[in-house]
Amino acid sequence: MVWEFFKASGDQQLEEIEGLIVEMLLDCRHTFDLAVNAVVGGTEAAAVGKEIRKSDRGVNKAERRVRRQLVVHVSVRGERADLPRVLVTTSIIKDIERIGDYAKNVWDLADGGIDLSHADDIDRLVELRDRTSQLIGETARIIRERDAESAESLLKGLDDVLDEYDECIEAQIESTDTPRDAVPRALLCRYLKRITAHLMNVLTSLVMPFDRLDYYDEDKVDRD
Amino acid sequence: MSTEPGRDRVPPWVRVLLVLILLYLFLAGVKALESGIREFGEDLTDSLFERVSNPLAGLFVGILATVLVQSSSVTTSTIVGLVGGGVLPIEVAVPMVMGANIGTTVTNTLASLGFLRRTDEFRRAFAGATMHDFFNICNVVVMLPFELLTRGLTKIAQRMADLLGGVLSFGHGESGGLVQTAVKAPVRLFESLLDRLGCGDSVTGALLLVFGLGLIFLALAYITRNMKLVMAGRIERSLNAVLAKGGGAAAIVIGMIVTAAVQSSSITTSVLVPMIAAGVLTLRNAYPVTLGANVGTTITALLASLAIENPAGLVIALVHLLFNLSGLLVWYVIPGLRGIPLALAERLAFVAEKRKSFVVVYVVGVFVIIPLVGVLVFQ
Repeated sequence: MVWEFFKASGDQQLEEIEGLIVEMLLDCRHTFDLAVNAVVGGTEAAAVGKEIRKSDRGVNKAERRVRRQLVVHVSVRGERADLPRVLVTTSIIKDIERIGDYAKNVWDLADGGIDLSHADDIDRLVELRDRTSQLIGETARIIRERDAESAESLLKGLDDVLDEYDECIEAQIESTDTPRDAVPRALLCRYLKRITAHLMNVLTSLVMPFDRLDYYDEDKVDRD
Repeated sequence: MSTEPGRDRVPPWVRVLLVLILLYLFLAGVKALESGIREFGEDLTDSLFERVSNPLAGLFVGILATVLVQSSSVTTSTIVGLVGGGVLPIEVAVPMVMGANIGTTVTNTLASLGFLRRTDEFRRAFAGATMHDFFNICNVVVMLPFELLTRGLTKIAQRMADLLGGVLSFGHGESGGLVQTAVKAPVRLFESLLDRLGCGDSVTGALLLVFGLGLIFLALAYITRNMKLVMAGRIERSLNAVLAKGGGAAAIVIGMIVTAAVQSSSITTSVLVPMIAAGVLTLRNAYPVTLGANVGTTITALLASLAIENPAGLVIALVHLLFNLSGLLVWYVIPGLRGIPLALAERLAFVAEKRKSFVVVYVVGVFVIIPLVGVLVFQ
């Protein structure tokens, strides 16, 4: 503990906190990959349940750790200039924690006996899985590198992705399939939409001022 | 995260250099204080000694002086200067140093008042701040009678000073040592300037006192300010470690190092208050950091003693260290006693939460009225 005082580069605390945010995102990706594979990849739900819970607990623990470190940062520095960055961080860790929760919800589908690995639309479902997983990974990279340009370019295309999930949900509502076929797909699309929306909130932290965080494009319909 | 934080634009090495210059000015201030007192001669010594010869008067003077300057480092360095100048006997200086320990706790108690409007946070913050008060009060209650009866702290400090005298020959050698030679220069310059202006001994003494006190106050204030900027990242990192791993002996050492680095226990303890208020740091985990801060702050008086020719200056600085170390042993190492300052602080915070007016009564009473009445009664 005492050694911490003498470690080099003692002036990078917010950068370290941002490193934790990237770790949280990568943990969320891990949770999501395990969960979604239990629904569309043929993995047995019970086999990954323990790992998913462990990973989600890790994300929740990291969220609390970031909060504590922010309190310490504000207590020690008391610098007003850091305030927007601190507020933004508290906002996005909540978004990341929600991503972990939705990933767990995806696994709940598999735990409830849903297995779409042999469904007719499996190619489409796998495409959604891969897109979301890559999006989490790309968001982590963008945050790590503070790549505002990539964040802006990625955000431009994501509203269309949200619209796509809305259409997916509407299609299931109007479908004549059995509830056992329609409901899991509607829920999966809903969860993927929420994960994407939370990732967009995280990305907006690089390109928007604090007061407009989460509201990338006000003309678009809401993302709930 | 698009907002870039306002970082300190001055390179750390420039700040460290600045701190070294300020440290030199601080020592020159202590030297000026010592020289100023000598200019006055025995009359001043006798009249001052008569006023504060009662140990309780000394204790209350220590509290009042520290509350006034909001820094025990300034008070204890001044005491070292006064002892070195022969104006203050060690037996009177010891209770003053103990009083300075109590007086310095007013700063973080005042910091806790910022949470007054939010009940739960205020209760935690006030308990976090006043545990420092209670620790120091409890320590004085035990150590002052012990010292008056046995002179135990002074005797040990004298032994240590004898041993250290050789080791610290750069400060206390026969020829005055390196440090003393170096810090004498600006004082002599100031004295010769006053001579040329035709100032008598008393005027020279008074101006040297003002010059010395001003240098001590300003140099310490700027040392603390600069060191806080240089050390902020390290302080943050070590406090994060305290949060992650809890209190204990390592937390004591962190409290010591952080405080020695910034030369102010008030900085360390005041930083803890918002963390305790937010609930991320428990009172029990903050307690060892506070006790460490109490020990760490003694470095200032030890540094000040380097500028003093009279070994008594080192003795009183060591008494300050021993007083805080013995407090640590009594009120932290003994499990049955460890909880007492914490329980008292929690109880006081509970009362303060219910009756906010009591906070004013407590702060004004403990830090102003009682010491003031004490000085008047016991002088």
